[in-house]
Amino acid sequence: MALPKRIIKETERLVAEPVPGIQAVPHDDNLRYFDVSIHGPAQSPYEGGVFKLELFLPEDYPMTPPKIRFLTKIYHPNIDRLGRICLDVLKANWSPALQIRTILLSIQALLGAPNPDDPLANDVAQRWKEDEPGAIATAREWTQTHAAP
Amino acid sequence: MEDTNPHPPKRRRFFAVSSPSPPLEASDPILPSTPQRELHTGYADPSSDTPFAERDGDITLEESPEVQVENDREIAEMKDLSLRFDATMLESVVGELSPDTLKRLDDISGGNIERAINMYLDGSWKEARPSESKKSGKQSPFDSIFSQNGKRKSPAGIGESSSNQPPASDEETARRLDRMPYERYIGSFGAEGYAVRSGSNLLSHGEEVIIGRQQPQQVQKTVRRGKGRPVVVVSQAASKRKDIVVRFSNTRGEEIGRLPHETAQFVSTLLDQKICTFKAVCVYAPEPLRSNETIFLQLKCYMLRQTFAPRALRLTETNRSTGLFETKETEEEKGLRLRQTSLVKLFNEIRLFPTSAGQDSKAKREGLLQVAEMAEEKEKEEAARGSNTPIKDEEEPQEGKELEQDQLDQLYRKAQTFDFNSPEAEPAETFTMNLRKYQKQALHWMLNKERDKKNEGQEESMHPLWEEYTWPVKDENDKELPAVENQEKFYVNPYSGDLSLKFPVQEQNCLGGILADEMGLGKTIEMLSLIHSNRNEPEASSGTDSKPFNLPRLPKSFDVVEPAPYTTLVVAPMSLLSQWASEAEAASKPGTLKTIIYYGSDKSLDLRAQCSAANAQNAPNVVITSYGVVLSEFTQIANTTSGSRATSGGLFSVQFFRVILDEAHNIKNRQSKTAKACYELDALHRWVLTGTPIVNRLEDLFSLVRFLRVEPWSNFAYWRTFITVPFESKDFLRALDVVQTVLEPLVMRRTKDMKQPDGTPLVPLPPKTIVIEEIELSKAERAVYDFVYNFVKRSFAENVEAGSVMKSYTTIFAQILRLRQSCCHPTLVRKKEVVADEVEAEAAEAEAKGLTDNMDLQALIDKFTSQENDGGEINNYGAHVLQQIKEEAENECPICSDEPMVEMTVTACYHMACKKCLLNVIEYAKAKGDQAKCFNCREPIDEKELYEVIKHDPEEAIGGLSGFRENVPEFSLRRIAANKSSAKIDALVTNLKRLRRESPGMKCVVFSQFTSFISLIEPALTRERIQFVRFDGAMSQQQRSAVLNRFKTHNGGLVLLISLKAGGVGLNLTEAKRVFMMDPWWSFAVEAQAIDRIHRMGQTDEVIVHRFIVKGSVEERMVHKIQERKKFIASSLGMMSAEEKRAQRIEDIKDLLS
Repeated sequence: MALPKRIIKETERLVAEPVPGIQAVPHDDNLRYFDVSIHGPAQSPYEGGVFKLELFLPEDYPMTPPKIRFLTKIYHPNIDRLGRICLDVLKANWSPALQIRTILLSIQALLGAPNPDDPLANDVAQRWKEDEPGAIATAREWTQTHAAP
Repeated sequence: MEDTNPHPPKRRRFFAVSSPSPPLEASDPILPSTPQRELHTGYADPSSDTPFAERDGDITLEESPEVQVENDREIAEMKDLSLRFDATMLESVVGELSPDTLKRLDDISGGNIERAINMYLDGSWKEARPSESKKSGKQSPFDSIFSQNGKRKSPAGIGESSSNQPPASDEETARRLDRMPYERYIGSFGAEGYAVRSGSNLLSHGEEVIIGRQQPQQVQKTVRRGKGRPVVVVSQAASKRKDIVVRFSNTRGEEIGRLPHETAQFVSTLLDQKICTFKAVCVYAPEPLRSNETIFLQLKCYMLRQTFAPRALRLTETNRSTGLFETKETEEEKGLRLRQTSLVKLFNEIRLFPTSAGQDSKAKREGLLQVAEMAEEKEKEEAARGSNTPIKDEEEPQEGKELEQDQLDQLYRKAQTFDFNSPEAEPAETFTMNLRKYQKQALHWMLNKERDKKNEGQEESMHPLWEEYTWPVKDENDKELPAVENQEKFYVNPYSGDLSLKFPVQEQNCLGGILADEMGLGKTIEMLSLIHSNRNEPEASSGTDSKPFNLPRLPKSFDVVEPAPYTTLVVAPMSLLSQWASEAEAASKPGTLKTIIYYGSDKSLDLRAQCSAANAQNAPNVVITSYGVVLSEFTQIANTTSGSRATSGGLFSVQFFRVILDEAHNIKNRQSKTAKACYELDALHRWVLTGTPIVNRLEDLFSLVRFLRVEPWSNFAYWRTFITVPFESKDFLRALDVVQTVLEPLVMRRTKDMKQPDGTPLVPLPPKTIVIEEIELSKAERAVYDFVYNFVKRSFAENVEAGSVMKSYTTIFAQILRLRQSCCHPTLVRKKEVVADEVEAEAAEAEAKGLTDNMDLQALIDKFTSQENDGGEINNYGAHVLQQIKEEAENECPICSDEPMVEMTVTACYHMACKKCLLNVIEYAKAKGDQAKCFNCREPIDEKELYEVIKHDPEEAIGGLSGFRENVPEFSLRRIAANKSSAKIDALVTNLKRLRRESPGMKCVVFSQFTSFISLIEPALTRERIQFVRFDGAMSQQQRSAVLNRFKTHNGGLVLLISLKAGGVGLNLTEAKRVFMMDPWWSFAVEAQAIDRIHRMGQTDEVIVHRFIVKGSVEERMVHKIQERKKFIASSLGMMSAEEKRAQRIEDIKDLLS
């Protein structure tokens, strides 16, 4: 099936005007499937890490949001062990006007501002609330272990 | 026997008794007293016009048979009398007579005074038809001029009968006939009769035997005064009677026995129909003779001279009287059949074989006998079926089997062997158009047909239906027979039983033909070139003989049509009238062709006065009228008591120079009133134009031939014998062969895909692309569709189960109709005033029960219509919004990235996207049960609060629609909900809008079979400011032509909404380049024909056709199953009988619902 104009344009623009700290490259054999890497934001426990994600644009994109998952292990209250992300714009707040670029920026922002009140990984969120410095330390540790560039 | 028929002697006595006066003395020598033998040689009066006298005799005979027999003799005996009788003598016998009566008596008696007296006294002269007697009289100067020119001979009365023989040869025939003896030996054969009486000395070897028929009522006396030689008994055709008994008696008049059945069968007919006489000699008879013993006879057969006289008059049926019974074999047809088989049997019996014949004569003979047997069997069957089969009425007048496609192909292939090197003719100066090569060839052909020139290089060939026989030169005993000078041969038509002494030339005695070029090759233009190139020029001085077509005036008499020597009548379907007129105008130099449309209120003028030769300077050259007008005038005349054409002043009161039937398959049913009306149109040259001379039956062709008056084919009995019957008996090859001999000289047909010798197509047409566009129904529409579908399916299944499919056909059909309509627009389902299609209208009126008052369905439709909403444009947005809109107009859609947005639509929160994308967003939210939110600001949005941005093209406003020009805002907003229509209309509108954007000024045609659907499309187009015009069956002729004219002349884009039925045929819409077919028809041929209105000669650009088909619906099945299947059925033009149509439809419906 032909690729919609929208996806083509988005892909072109991701290549032409890349967002600093974010990379998204479509697979040759499936242009709806992207390899994504996001640099951990500065002043965050994830600084210095490069996190790999996979992104898939479903058939009815942009009516439905893209499917995104962390491949790199990450210690974050809104990201579970399988890499799934809890982010409103990927769910109920999705709008067809959002794009891959904006979504990835949102994820990058999520790394900079974890939200333990809306947890996906309950144990992580618990710890974040009870022992924030310890949790941050673990996150840093994990970043160094798993997300070293 | 004499007792059985007392009249002749009585009447003779009358003559004798009332003749004591001196003048009568003078006539004494002519009293019939000469022996019979002399009669044979002295039969004819050489100075009389023999064929006519014969004919005349026949007619009289029908009324009073007695007169004939005597009359024959009397004529013979009066041979030295002057032709015209002495009036004083007559009056001295019968008293004073008025000059009129005298004239009449003179006419009908052929100048024979004795006969005249007899006729006067017995009153039969009153019944003798004057029109016939006219013919029997001297030829009028008019006639002779005609025949000299080789033109149609008879001056064209109502019951005009064109002669079987070419008119010019009548005299020749007569002369030949004169030379022939009264009877001539043809052969002999043996027969084993059986005795019916016992006794001795009844019959012995070598004794002469009298063969005779006995008819209780019509038997003549057998013994004449004078010598006691018995006269062979003949009687008029007694075809009704099954009795075929042939008796024989000895010279003493004692009946001895009868001929065996198989011999009697044909001998009886030959005797009854006065074809032959038989003289028999006893070869062996037992002595003494006992009843039922075998008697061996040798029968010598003599052909009677009168057999060879033209029979034309009897062949010609009078149109009005036979109409009702034409489907059945008439008495006349039966007589013909008997005659034909008897002759064939006789020839077999006497071992006489043709010396040359069109084809393998043996096989032919066998075939002929078969045919006859078949007809007999059929007759028996019918009789067995009893009288409960009523006379077929107009309801199902079609008969004859349908042609299979390959047969039709074969036929056409033969008919269209077109010689590309055939000569061309240049049209007259006054014709302005450039003809293509093949059109010039057609012109040449047509000119030749009208001028009746033989094609060069074609030698005179024998008529393919005739066979040549040589008269035997020796009799049964090898004795030389008296030779007749210049008559070694005679000719027999075994198909009709006609005999002739003259070489039957394959004649083209029809001064016209069938122009059957395929649609789009320019039949109209070809015809117009003919009208220009072969016309009479009015001249100040009349009566110059040099002009071939200078017709002398007919004497104005009571019931004679007026010749219109300058006028061509064109009969065409109503929708084509104005097109004919405009093409005629376009093809002529100004002022060279006066054209009038004879229709509606324009009909008031008196054609008789207008077109007469006297009005030469102002007579219209072309009169264009419709089939309807022809029919209505015909009915009018037929309904008046006089039935007189002349007084009507209409189409039937004149003899046109030429008549042309356009789209002539309109008269393909010979029993339709229209066809009958057309047959009666009078013209010197007769042409039919049709792309399909045979729609699905060979009989279709018959009607055309009948109109053309191609003898002998225009006689249905003839046609039936040679074509229908063989065809039905599976002897396709022969039937088609014959059809081809009929067709070949008559038809010119070229097809679009013919290639010229250099390989280029005849008519290069730009390509045509057909795109099927699948339409997805909206949810609400789908709900309605599904509901109707399930309803119909259930109802059909119930009917199938109950076996009442045919009975409830109308209901089922109406339901299917509704189902199909629901694909177009849900509200159509409930529309009362329904359909475009006339055929289906009736069905729809018998409304599908259950669909009208179903609440669930109503709810579904309401749901759909609730989305429709008549909010108009609103422009209460602030100026800044409009400004913003303007700025963003070129932006890409945030949702689909199209740039610019397609049908830019703005939300209540001023955010813009493509209409489709926004609707999609709402759709998705609804599907999840969420409130739809703005893609941008997440404000709740609603379908009803979406506004499409309408950009106004300044050019568009210039194009037409006045009033829009001033204060045209660059943008306006319009509520989308108001726009919302059915999926199909949306698709159409989207297409049209894209077209307007991409190729401004392009004209399109939109076809739908439902006028009610067209009515729903109209507002949608109005909303989008797409200009359109409409053409449908309900419009008057003036309206139609106005619409077509506007469509042709309009400068800029224009959409023509047209109903498939009204516009599918004939029109020329080559101005358009795009076609939209809104709904599929049962067979694609109908759609294809509609498409060909646009994709035809004159089209300069590629034509793209969009066919809208609703996905997953009956439409899809119609296209892929039914149309596929029907691809090859020629019957798709919707002209089958009602019954067949229904049966076929039921099949279709089964497919649809499967």
